[in-house]
Amino acid sequence: MSYSDKVIDHYNNPRNVGSMDKKDTDVGTGLVGAPECGDVMKLQIKVNPQTNVIEDAKFKTFGCGSAIASSSLATEWVKGKTIDQALEIKNTEIVKELALPPVKIHCSVLAEDAIRAAIGDWKKKQETANPAEVRAAQ
Amino acid sequence: MPGQSPAQSSTDVTPSCWSCGTMRAVHFCSSCGKVQPPVPVDYFTFFGFPRKLNLDTAALEKEFYALSRRLHPDGFGQADDRERAWSLEQSSMLNDAYRTLKDPIKRTEYLLRLEGVELEEQSKQATEKARATGELKKQVVPPDLLEEVFELNMHLEELRAQKTLGEDDPALLEEIGKAKLSLEEKFDALFNELKIEWNHWDQAVDSGTGDDRRKVLDTMLDVLNRRNYVRNLVRDVNEAMEG
Repeated sequence: MSYSDKVIDHYNNPRNVGSMDKKDTDVGTGLVGAPECGDVMKLQIKVNPQTNVIEDAKFKTFGCGSAIASSSLATEWVKGKTIDQALEIKNTEIVKELALPPVKIHCSVLAEDAIRAAIGDWKKKQETANPAEVRAAQ
Repeated sequence: MPGQSPAQSSTDVTPSCWSCGTMRAVHFCSSCGKVQPPVPVDYFTFFGFPRKLNLDTAALEKEFYALSRRLHPDGFGQADDRERAWSLEQSSMLNDAYRTLKDPIKRTEYLLRLEGVELEEQSKQATEKARATGELKKQVVPPDLLEEVFELNMHLEELRAQKTLGEDDPALLEEIGKAKLSLEEKFDALFNELKIEWNHWDQAVDSGTGDDRRKVLDTMLDVLNRRNYVRNLVRDVNEAMEG
């Protein structure tokens, strides 16, 4: 199977590889895995608590070229977006951008799952960090 | 492909023998004993077993050897071309069916396929549902296992880097060895988990509703997925340590 140029580019020059302190209250961590292929993907976001804008994103993926490219692209796309905007990213958009073949669609699903998991983790932290606000909102 | 077509039962089989016209079995006519053209039945039906997972492997083996002998080409030296071709096709299906049913994991995977369970489709649907409802998708691989997988992959990456530099770190090797042991224990435990689900499945076949069966199928898929995940990881560890 041949990879598209965009996949190869992300694979050779992955953007935003690395990690952040997962104990930081502004950091959300998503760790997801695809049992079909054994891939594991960690995606982290750093959110500005005032604006809800994702200011930084990092990832580390163990898996095939498509999984690495999907997560690399996902970090590029979430940066600068608000939490709500980031939740609108669909795996089909990743498929389209990277021209992923049908057998690699699960890689894009994994990337979307990772974004959602990271945001979910961040939201949970905000609730525990600011229980008063949550109570007030209820 | 015969044996792969889902949801066929013995009632779909043409009931009359091509030769004598009486009732026939799947492989040979029960009346005149002539070999029959292969029909697309599932492997359980092929051997006359119910679609259950606790399978009498001794009976399976006995039946396999008995049929192998009867279908052997030597027995068809005098037969016409059609019969010779049918016996060959039956033989090949017999071998596929036997290999699939004999192996406990292949048998379970085959049943899931027969029952129309498709992993990737389910994962995609779950993601779409999460997107629509805003709820978090339940991950197939549990979080603690994912943590373990991630850590181990980090160690393996380090190990590979060290090997390229010709370095050796006994502490790292020990760490990886321990992780591998823990994974192998998980691998065995998952097989036991699967066997418990076999019992649930067999009970559901006898007296359960469609919902009961669906639930057991989902659980089995979940167990198999985790097992595959662990198996791949153990393989990666072995490769990294040997390579």
